[in-house]
Amino acid sequence: MVFMRIKVLIDDIGGGILFLGQIILTAIRTPAKIDLTLEQIYKVTAQSFATTAMAGFFVGAIMTIQFTMQLNEFSALEYLGGISTSATLREVGPLLIAFMLSGKVGAFTAAELGTMRVTEQIDAIRCLGANPIREIIVPRFFGIVTASFVLLSGGLVLSIIGGLLMGGLFAEVSFQEYVRHIPTLVTMPSIFNGLFKSFVFAFLIATICTYRGYTATGGAKGVGKAVLQTAVACMIAIVLSDWVTTVFTDTALTLIRGE
Amino acid sequence: MIEFKNVVKSFGQKTVLNKVSFKIERGQIVFILGISGTGKSVMLKNIVGLLTPDAGEIWVDGVDAAKLSEESYGPIRKKCGMVFQQPALFDSMTVFENIAFGLRKHFQLPESEIKSRVLKALSLVNLDDIGERFPSNISYGMQKRVSLARTIIIEPEILLFDEPTTGLDPITTNAINSLIQDLSRRLKTTSLVVSHDMNCALAIADRIIVLDRGMIVEDGTVESVRNSKVPLVKDFLAEV
Repeated sequence: MVFMRIKVLIDDIGGGILFLGQIILTAIRTPAKIDLTLEQIYKVTAQSFATTAMAGFFVGAIMTIQFTMQLNEFSALEYLGGISTSATLREVGPLLIAFMLSGKVGAFTAAELGTMRVTEQIDAIRCLGANPIREIIVPRFFGIVTASFVLLSGGLVLSIIGGLLMGGLFAEVSFQEYVRHIPTLVTMPSIFNGLFKSFVFAFLIATICTYRGYTATGGAKGVGKAVLQTAVACMIAIVLSDWVTTVFTDTALTLIRGE
Repeated sequence: MIEFKNVVKSFGQKTVLNKVSFKIERGQIVFILGISGTGKSVMLKNIVGLLTPDAGEIWVDGVDAAKLSEESYGPIRKKCGMVFQQPALFDSMTVFENIAFGLRKHFQLPESEIKSRVLKALSLVNLDDIGERFPSNISYGMQKRVSLARTIIIEPEILLFDEPTTGLDPITTNAINSLIQDLSRRLKTTSLVVSHDMNCALAIADRIIVLDRGMIVEDGTVESVRNSKVPLVKDFLAEV
C-alpha cells in the first residue's frame, strides 16, 4: 500500500516534469501567442490583485506586531522597521502571499482546464487540427508565471506599507525611526532573495495548476479532485521550494562574501 | 474507407475493444449500437488518434492511423470531422469563433471567406443570427448544432458522431438525425454514428454494427438487423 502510494507520487512528479518539458518545448518551437498571454496576465492580475494586496498588507502588519512584542523586551524598538521588513521580504511575505495565490489562481486554473478536459473541449481542439498545449496551456503558463510574480512582488511592497502603518499605530514608532534601520538590515541580497522566491513560487503554481487541470479525468468529481490536488500540491511544493531556495541563496551569499 | 483489423483496446484490466474488425466503404452511413461502456466511443476516438489501440490496425484511406504519432495525425484529422458526445464548444469564444476555429487551423483563408463559410455552416444547421452569442447563452440543443457546424465547416470526408442526439428533446433529435442524413447524402461523406437510438439507426443507416462487451455481435443492413436472432439486438428492436 505504502509502496503503491510512493509509486503514484513518483509517477505524478515525473508526469509534471514531462508536462513542463512539453510546455517549454512547445513554447520554443512556436512562441506563445502574445495576445492570449496578455489576456491571461490581465485576467490573473485583475482576479487576484485584491487578495494578494490584502494578504501582503496584513502579513507586514502582523510581522510588525509580533516583532514589537519581542523588541520591546530588549528595548530595541528602533530596529523594528529593519527586522520586520527583512523577515517579511525574505521569508514570510513570499510564502504567505504564494499560499493565497495558489488557492486563488491555482484552483481557478485547475478547475477551468479540468472542465475543458472533461467536457471534451481539449479533445475537440486536437480534432480541429490544433495543439492544445500551444493553444491553451502555453499562454496560461506564461500568463500565470508573469502575473503571479508581479502580484507577489506587489504584495511584498504592500507588506512593507502594512508594517510601516502598524509600526506607527501599534508600536508608536515614528515613520523616520521605522525606516532608519531598513537600509541596514534589508540589503540587496534580501530583496533579491524575496524576488527569487516569488519567481520560484509563481513558476511552481503555474506548472502544478496547468498540469492538474490538463490531466483531470472523471467528470465533475474529477475536476473537484484536480482542484484539491492542486491546492495540496502547491502548498507542499511552495514549502519545500522555500526551504531549498533559502539554503541555496544563503549558501550563494556566503560564497559571494567569501566567508 | 475505414478499416479496423483486430483492434484491441484495454483500460487497466478491462478490455473495451476485443479484436474488433470491420470495413466501411466510402459514402455509407453506419450506425454503431450497443449499451453504455461497450467501447463505441473508444472506437471513434481511436480513429482520430485521441486514443491509441493496444493492438491491431486502423486504416483510414490507406494510412494505418494506429501507427501515427501525435504530430503526424494532421491529415487524418483534417479528413475526419468528429462531433463529440458533449457539444465541446470553447466557452471563451463566440459561436462564430468556435465554428471558424477549425477553418483557421486547417486552411489559410481570407477573413471574408471565413465569414461567408461560417454563415453558410450556421445556416446548414438552421441557426442563423447567433454568431455573436457565447455558448453559455444558447440552449443545449443549439450547442449541439453549433458543434455539428464546427465539424462540417472543414468539409471532412468522414464524419464521426458520438451520440449526437443524447440529452436532446425528440424534435431536436429528429432535426439532428435529418441533418446527419442530409449532410451525408449532400456532401457525400462517410458517416460513422455511435448511438443508442435503434429507431434512428433503422431510419437512416445503410448499415448497423452492434457491439457487446467489446465484440461485434451483429453487422449488416437494416433489413438483416431487423431479422437478427442476437438477444441484444432483439432487446434493442423491442424498444422500437
